[in-house]
Amino acid sequence: MRAEEILMLFPEGSRDRWREVAKMARRLQEIRLRACLPLSILVDNREYFVDRQGQIVDIPEEAARPLPEELENLLGHLCKYSIYAFADEIRQGFLTVQGGHRVGLAGQVILDGEGRIKNMKYIRYLNIRIAHQIRGAADALMPCLYEDGQVMSTLLISPPGGGKTTMLRDIIRQVSDGTVYGRGINVSVVDERSEIAGSYLGVSQNDVGIRTDVLDGCPKVEGMMRLIRSMAPRVLAVDEVGSLADAQALQMAGGCGCKLLATIHGGSMEEVRRKDYMRYIMEQGLFERYVMLDRRQGACRIVEIYDGEGKPCTRQ
Amino acid sequence: MYKAVGFFCILAGCAGWGHSLAGQEKERVRHLMMLSRILSRMRSEISYGKHTMPEICLLLAELDDKCYASCFGRIYERTAGEGGTDFPKVWEEEFGKCLAPLPLREEERRTMTELAKSLRFREENGQAGRVGQAEVFFEDRYRQAGEMVGNRSKMIHSVSILTGLLLAILLL
Repeated sequence: MRAEEILMLFPEGSRDRWREVAKMARRLQEIRLRACLPLSILVDNREYFVDRQGQIVDIPEEAARPLPEELENLLGHLCKYSIYAFADEIRQGFLTVQGGHRVGLAGQVILDGEGRIKNMKYIRYLNIRIAHQIRGAADALMPCLYEDGQVMSTLLISPPGGGKTTMLRDIIRQVSDGTVYGRGINVSVVDERSEIAGSYLGVSQNDVGIRTDVLDGCPKVEGMMRLIRSMAPRVLAVDEVGSLADAQALQMAGGCGCKLLATIHGGSMEEVRRKDYMRYIMEQGLFERYVMLDRRQGACRIVEIYDGEGKPCTRQ
Repeated sequence: MYKAVGFFCILAGCAGWGHSLAGQEKERVRHLMMLSRILSRMRSEISYGKHTMPEICLLLAELDDKCYASCFGRIYERTAGEGGTDFPKVWEEEFGKCLAPLPLREEERRTMTELAKSLRFREENGQAGRVGQAEVFFEDRYRQAGEMVGNRSKMIHSVSILTGLLLAILLL
């Protein structure tokens, strides 16, 4: 991650304020901008503030408070002055920008006649989540994901910010490129929120391997069957399984002979077992490995690996 | 003998000057048509392709007309490339440079250079509608100029030859 990449996220006129922050690009996790409220950043899981001169301070009272116009200007810049082109993403509450970084948005929602979210206005809260591809994040996990040279269907479980997507991305890359445990095979990714590949102009901004096809911005359920029909993958990867429909689509994909790589939110195995779609997943035996993850001091950590029946098989 | 050569030189000079003026009018019509077509393409790329403005500039950088193609190419490079400069500013600068030597009226230049300032719509139909307004402006100008260019060209040619004759009589 280069400092310039962070600077490019901001309009030309305001880049001076971000130079100090950009110097910490490798450790920077989040930049939070809230209208008329202190401007904060998250570095190595610790919160700091940024003052008007761009200096990093510890006290919120000294921090700069961005004006609503500044946030509007930043949003225009992030959307390449083409907000219309990001209407679908804004509706969902996030944007993926060049470099694969994700910008969470909040403001006032506009509903259509049927109560569905039509658009968002007065966007006054922005959370820029800096994408960090960590090559080798899955190195410790890879031996446990192969059996007789074949990759096993694996579900990664962690709380939000626990490093699921980072881990999934690296597993995809290694499975696609091939490792000492197995040859490289075709992988298809349904990247509903553009978080895995971080596609920009249709080109993956993250290295997801040489045999990987990415269906960007497509809902998981539609995307999985579409990819199976069109790209004939040996492995299918999706992020954040969160409904029974997702689980049923995974079951259909598994039934077509694909191995599955997926992630799910959860603090512990007991917690995820209580979810109805997780019970369905375990009853159907869709996965051969369940991996509990956590993040300590910014690094992704494997807490526990379970076999297909949910019994612990390795502790690190 | 010298007087006859001088007479023809003055006449040819004035006719050439008139021809160049008439050519400029035709060139203006061609540019108005070109700008109208560019805006029409932009409108459809916004409505149907949902491309961002820099992406549209990249597509338009492949136009046959080198003047506009290089202008769009530079806009894309400066906004999406390493510089990451703000789009409205780059658009204004590049179109300012591109349109300056062209035989267009001030209002026509301004309509094109200031177009990027109105790219604030959150929905593609609104944005396409704004580009469509500029397209209609250039289409009207093109139609008006196209209807007049034939007569104006004849008039310019006649006036230039008559001026040549008058100059030759006065000087010789």
